[in-house]
Amino acid sequence: MVRRWFWPSFALPGAAWLVLLFLVPTYAVLAVAFGTTDPIFSNPVPVWNPLDWQFQTMRSVLGEMRPGHTFWIVYVRTFAYVAISLAGCLAIGYPVAYYLARHARRSKALLLLLLIVPFWVSYLMRMLAWVGLLLPDGLVNRALQELGVISQPYGWLDGQASSVILALIYGYVPYLILPLYAVLDRIEPHVLEAGRDLGASPISTFLHVTLPLSKNGILAASVLIALPMFGDYYTNDVISGSPRTSMIGNQINLFFQGGPQRTVGASLVIILSVMLALLMSYYLWVTVRASAQTEDSLL
Amino acid sequence: MSKKTDGAIELVELRKEFGEVAAVDGIDLGIRAGEFFSLLGPSGCGKTTTLRLIAGFERPTAGKILLDGVDMAAVAPHRRKVNTVFQSYALFPHLDVFGNVAFGLRRQHVKREEVRRRVEAVLEAVQLGGYEKRKPAQLSGGQQQRVALARALVLEPSVLLLDEPLGALDAKLRKALQLELKGIQERFGITFVYVTHDQEEALTMSDRIAVMSGGRVEQVAAPAEMYEEPQTVFVADFLGVSNLMHVTAEGADAGACRARLGDFVLRAGNGDAAVSGSTRIVIRPERVRIEPYESMGDNRVPGMIERVVYLGSAEQLVVRLATGDVVQALFVNDGTPREFVQGTPVQVHLPVDALRVLPPPAAAVPEPEAKPLEPASDAAVQLGAG
Amino acid sequence: MKRVRDWFANPWGQPRALAVITWTYMAWSIVPVVIAVLFSFNDGRSRSVWQGFSLRWYWGDPSLSVFHDPSMRGALEQSLKLAGFDMLIAVPLGVGLALGLTRWKGYGARPVNFLMLFPLVTPELVMAVSLLLVFVLLYKIPLGTEAQVLGQVTFSISYVVIIVRSRLLSIGPSYEEAARDLGASPVGALRLVLLPLLSPAIFASFIVVFALSIDDFVVTDYLSSNESTQTVPIKIYSGVRGTTTPALNALATVMVVATLAAVALAFLVYRWALRSQPGQQGALKEIAALEA
Repeated sequence: MVRRWFWPSFALPGAAWLVLLFLVPTYAVLAVAFGTTDPIFSNPVPVWNPLDWQFQTMRSVLGEMRPGHTFWIVYVRTFAYVAISLAGCLAIGYPVAYYLARHARRSKALLLLLLIVPFWVSYLMRMLAWVGLLLPDGLVNRALQELGVISQPYGWLDGQASSVILALIYGYVPYLILPLYAVLDRIEPHVLEAGRDLGASPISTFLHVTLPLSKNGILAASVLIALPMFGDYYTNDVISGSPRTSMIGNQINLFFQGGPQRTVGASLVIILSVMLALLMSYYLWVTVRASAQTEDSLL
Repeated sequence: MSKKTDGAIELVELRKEFGEVAAVDGIDLGIRAGEFFSLLGPSGCGKTTTLRLIAGFERPTAGKILLDGVDMAAVAPHRRKVNTVFQSYALFPHLDVFGNVAFGLRRQHVKREEVRRRVEAVLEAVQLGGYEKRKPAQLSGGQQQRVALARALVLEPSVLLLDEPLGALDAKLRKALQLELKGIQERFGITFVYVTHDQEEALTMSDRIAVMSGGRVEQVAAPAEMYEEPQTVFVADFLGVSNLMHVTAEGADAGACRARLGDFVLRAGNGDAAVSGSTRIVIRPERVRIEPYESMGDNRVPGMIERVVYLGSAEQLVVRLATGDVVQALFVNDGTPREFVQGTPVQVHLPVDALRVLPPPAAAVPEPEAKPLEPASDAAVQLGAG
Repeated sequence: MKRVRDWFANPWGQPRALAVITWTYMAWSIVPVVIAVLFSFNDGRSRSVWQGFSLRWYWGDPSLSVFHDPSMRGALEQSLKLAGFDMLIAVPLGVGLALGLTRWKGYGARPVNFLMLFPLVTPELVMAVSLLLVFVLLYKIPLGTEAQVLGQVTFSISYVVIIVRSRLLSIGPSYEEAARDLGASPVGALRLVLLPLLSPAIFASFIVVFALSIDDFVVTDYLSSNESTQTVPIKIYSGVRGTTTPALNALATVMVVATLAAVALAFLVYRWALRSQPGQQGALKEIAALEA
């Protein structure tokens, strides 16, 4: 007979840490966003009592999000970047995951290793690598000039949306392939053979069997990388450095450099969090509904 | 569905290698149209590979696969008029029962009305009428198996391949489904190629059986012939319980083979009488006669009762012969009072017409696995210590 | 040709195109990094034009190499320092949390579990901002090393919990129950049986936390104070667009090598440790031995 508090007591230090350094800070964001600004030093003054919360800042921020106003273009642009990058990641990642899961036999171990290596290489190092390649005198420009595609070095790093999207795809696609691979790997091979056996050509089997069965996995993997992509600012800073391509993360970052704007920054953070929470909820709802139907979650 | 008349398969020198290993080592097999044909053997004998070759999931290294005279070896699986019932059923988890069964029909772009008609008809035939909307995960094992069967049957194939479909079911359900499968096969006249490692199942259901081992066919025969007249040690040992004994054969002697078992001379009335040299004789337990110790005559060896096992419908006796061999005898419980006591000396009579001599093995044949109900037989003791 | 034909022997017939895509992807994924590493050995100051092989950016150059440039060296040291603290704090907390959560039968388990999962789905920016605000406005903790450690531990704990918990679940309660049956106290069973069985997972957690800490950017940046609290990722971030030398590449390479070495070590230790522990095969052998 173990005392009832034996095991929970182990969890206590960790739980306490998370409460103090995760929950409370989250609340602090709310307190700041709905707080005021000290008129003298222009510092944000948090308001801890929800009853005293001030909503003017949030209102004006939301106002600026309307079409035509300052934040609108940033949000639209971010959504566009994320959507395009996601599409790119899926286009590249799905075939790779599929090959790894269903075909690669002898080279499977090696391929998995190669797949995992980028996880252990710092994101910034991978960006550093691309900056080196995209410099005016970098290998990409030199190769293109050699091939005659361009006559002069192209400014890849001068605030180009395409470069940012390329970098986002490069940075996030490994995080997509792994969960996709896990899902595809779990599909029982006999099910696919059954499809062929019953008269479906390879393409038909893919469309009618493989794709439906991997639907949940695609959704899960997409959410997995879309979430951090929305908060990304450093990719843009490193690859573009121009406000022309700034994303939501950059906006938030901007407001935290200087003192007086932190209330605005906090408000933006809340809006971002709410957006992502909605995304997550949608994902969870779809998953729960799907598993209720099949009673067999493939996640 | 009208009764089928086609569906004959012929395998000609069929060979499949995986790297260095030949899973199917050159087999020739003829399966008649409308036959219930079983491929029987232990795991690793190549029966599943052979099935997959016929289905088209593996490409043969050499040889031909003829369906009604046409070589299918180069035809992709989705174009063969052959359908498979998988061991794990392989039902599509994202489709309901109707969707699963209709899958093949839809790939053929059959009209919706006809799809519905045929699907409902076949579901009735497997006694799953009304289950159309259920998902596979909501079905029991037996029900899933029937959906898998229906899914294949609805396409009216000439040949149906079944890969140990009843393996995952409990004994009682298995027996019931065996009868159902046999009934369906006879009703529609489809050629069934049935893979199993369960010899009882094969004996019960098949018109003919091919026993396989190590990628080769050991023997092809109807169940009765296979059981009564095994041609090799492997077949004799694999099917049912057999009493195998090492002997030195000495050639023919008035129509039977003369065999020396230790100090005793026996005559084996079955098998090739001209066999000589080191080989084995075999006799089925139900043919062994236990007589009082004083009994005299040919083919009798003294022994002692080691163990008496009461099986309910029968009684099993384990007797150790004077030569050291252990023999099992089986007495069906027909009401005859019998009093067997452990430790009694007896005379074991191996009737000439029940004793078979087997050809000496060409190469070392792997010992088949020990079967559950073999208390102290030779094979079990050897394997248990390994 | 036979290999090509064997590809077609596969009824699917697709592999060729997919194989090409896959290997191309692998190259595209790894080659840029390899090139960056190669340029760290560049003799000249360029990060994009090869001028010969040299180790100057590692320790040769008296003022600009990683070894000699104080800010570079400082970044490396700060990275390692933070990683060390992060490991020492996050792993015990995480292991405790994992143990508690797996064995907790009461009400509290659910919300705590939820709480533990949240950092994993929260974007780093959100976490960094929240920590910054709470340190400055509430806890009055000055930004710098302490703050960075606190922040890193916060997101590391959840990873430790996930790793340890999955191992806990596969171990199951049977070993502890056996130990208790033989007279060990709960703490004793924990110490003598469970922790040794968990050691591979704990070791793996150390490595994962190390890698997470070394590579972390957002939280560490937000909670940094001045140049002395810069880590390697921060240094790369601030220097990458400027006219820096390949010393930056060298710095990054050092970090990558450290991380990969740690992971490789963890993998080897994990495999070795699991081989000597009772698993399925050992049990089968024992049963077989009993039969004889």
